[in-house]
Amino acid sequence: MRSGLISITRRLVLTVLVLEVLSAIALITAVAVRERNLEMRAFDATLVGTADSLMGAVQDAEDEHDNVLLDLRDLRFNKNAIYRVEDESKKDLGSHGDVMASFDSYSSSPGFHNATVSGKRYRVYVIHGIRVIDPGAPTGGATHHIIVLYGMPLGRVWHEVIEAIRFFIFATALLLGITTVIMMWCIKRYLSPLHDLAREADGISSRNWKFEAPSSAKDTAELRPLTDALEAALARLQRAFEQQRRFTSDAAHELKTDVAIVKSSLQLLSMRRRTLEEYDHGLAVSLEDFVRLEETVQRMLTLARLEHVPAGTLQGASANCSLNKAMEEAVHQSSYLAKLKQIEIAFMAAEDATVPLDYRDALLLCSNILQNALQHSSKESRIHVSIASEAQNVQLNVRDNGEGIHLEDLPFLFEPFYRGDPSRSRKSGGTGLGLSICKAICDRAGGSIQISNHTAGGAIVTVRLPVISKRESEASPRSLESIK
Amino acid sequence: MRVLLVEDEQRLAENVVAALREVGLAVDHAADGATASLLAEQDVYDAIVLDLMLPGKSGQGVLGDLRQQGLHTPVLILTAQEGKESIVQLLNAGADDYLSKPFDLGELIARIKALIRRGKGKATSLLTLGDVELNTVNQTVRRSNQPVDLSPTEYRILEYLMHRPRAVVSKQELLEHLYDFDWEHHSNVIEAHISNLRRKLDLAESEPLIETLRHRGYRLRTGDIS
Repeated sequence: MRSGLISITRRLVLTVLVLEVLSAIALITAVAVRERNLEMRAFDATLVGTADSLMGAVQDAEDEHDNVLLDLRDLRFNKNAIYRVEDESKKDLGSHGDVMASFDSYSSSPGFHNATVSGKRYRVYVIHGIRVIDPGAPTGGATHHIIVLYGMPLGRVWHEVIEAIRFFIFATALLLGITTVIMMWCIKRYLSPLHDLAREADGISSRNWKFEAPSSAKDTAELRPLTDALEAALARLQRAFEQQRRFTSDAAHELKTDVAIVKSSLQLLSMRRRTLEEYDHGLAVSLEDFVRLEETVQRMLTLARLEHVPAGTLQGASANCSLNKAMEEAVHQSSYLAKLKQIEIAFMAAEDATVPLDYRDALLLCSNILQNALQHSSKESRIHVSIASEAQNVQLNVRDNGEGIHLEDLPFLFEPFYRGDPSRSRKSGGTGLGLSICKAICDRAGGSIQISNHTAGGAIVTVRLPVISKRESEASPRSLESIK
Repeated sequence: MRVLLVEDEQRLAENVVAALREVGLAVDHAADGATASLLAEQDVYDAIVLDLMLPGKSGQGVLGDLRQQGLHTPVLILTAQEGKESIVQLLNAGADDYLSKPFDLGELIARIKALIRRGKGKATSLLTLGDVELNTVNQTVRRSNQPVDLSPTEYRILEYLMHRPRAVVSKQELLEHLYDFDWEHHSNVIEAHISNLRRKLDLAESEPLIETLRHRGYRLRTGDIS
């Protein structure tokens, strides 16, 4: 495990250990309290019993004065015990140990007391009793008030309790050790699918996207969401990456071809001395080739610009325009080509079609769609263009009467450099960026573009763009200004 | 020498065809893979220039089919792709050379000529046969150290024959290898050029250099010269 990293294993083990230690402490405390109480009760019973025995050991002294004495035969005492037995005349009948100070303090009140005897903690018990000597005598015998104090050091109780605590601490430590080992082993085992997953994921690179989550990880409930997410994310990434790679390679191919044409035109011209007319013609042709190269570059840059600015963001105050106007201009621009192919363009404008597009982009969108329609229309046909405003959208429809679109081409129409018919050379298909540019323009404005085949033949392009109401379009420049 | 150019980009093809014709090669052009295969299989080309990205059948497919049919025409691949792997693959699949776009026309011509030379089993651009010397770069001919002034077609016929010194070359073969589809040609044309060649090349005292074999064709006389 590398240091400096957060380790789940370590955290888990630590948490379990802390919990175990805490519960052990609680348990030991409870046990200690109970043990102490039990020991105390036994201790007290011993005190009472011994004190009673002492009381019982007060005997008739068998002298003429009806005195009493302490008969200690058959009695055993702890060697640290203290006691004192006194009669009413404060005569010491028997004592042991350093007992006087305690006796002075507690002898008047019977019961248990805690005392300190020569620095040690003691528990003492005091009983008051009456001893009647010769009750059968004519005088009625003599009555003696006896006070017994018996005490023992508390150390013995604590010794027992500490022994018990020590046992539990030892047991707990052993348990903790075993738990740690078992947990480490278990966690290591349970986390092995994660390692498998990491190993598999480690094999992923921009060249090798193959990722199949190991079954050990897939079959783990906690890892399933991760493997699923990984697989999905990788698939998306791969698609995006492949798309990018294809775009780069296609763009390079396109540019290289255009450059190759320009270069070869000029080299052909300079292969030998030529007439002035030949040079004139050669230069004109080279210029044409160059314009085509320029167009390709221009379109690539346009696409890059459109895709660079995130979708749905407006830029500057000029970001609104009328789609009607843009389409009108596009129709006007295409009129020459339309006339050439004898195609009639029927245009139905909407009342108000202000869309969140820069006018340049709107014109580019309209003319690209129209060019596309013209290219695919058969001679002497019609193209229907209509713009209609809906509740939230402006809908633009461009329908041609060409051969329509092959179903297998439909998913790829908006991919850069995709030319539907593979037998069609790039000559007739333009740069292959027109529809990609259209899609980028629509995406950025928060709209959409679709191409489908019309039931009555021909293709129909449908563009939906969010409409901007008149009031909004007048207000927005100012509000944008103020934001700036 | 006759070359087949397979290139779908119209403008590029126009330029390459024009350039190759300027250096005296006969050139046919195919704009797609299927046409290319059809033309290549006639086995009349001394070299093929093949673009990879073609509509329909790809350049790889054309090359594969050509080699599968046992045709050894040298093939130069034109590619806009950078990948070294695909180039290795192509060379292994029977391509003889490659050039990436945008290429230099001069380099393309030199490589095509080198391929033709190698295809005919010659290592240098100078062909010699006895005292006849033919420089394929400058397109000049000398006999006994004296420059001989030939027309482009005469030069091409001599070059073709010099590439195959001991073989009998039929009129048909000469027509196939020296003219592309854009030329109006007729077998009489060959006879006229051959007779011109004899007139310009042959020295007074020796046997004619170009031998005519009745109904079979022509052969460069080598035995008594070399």
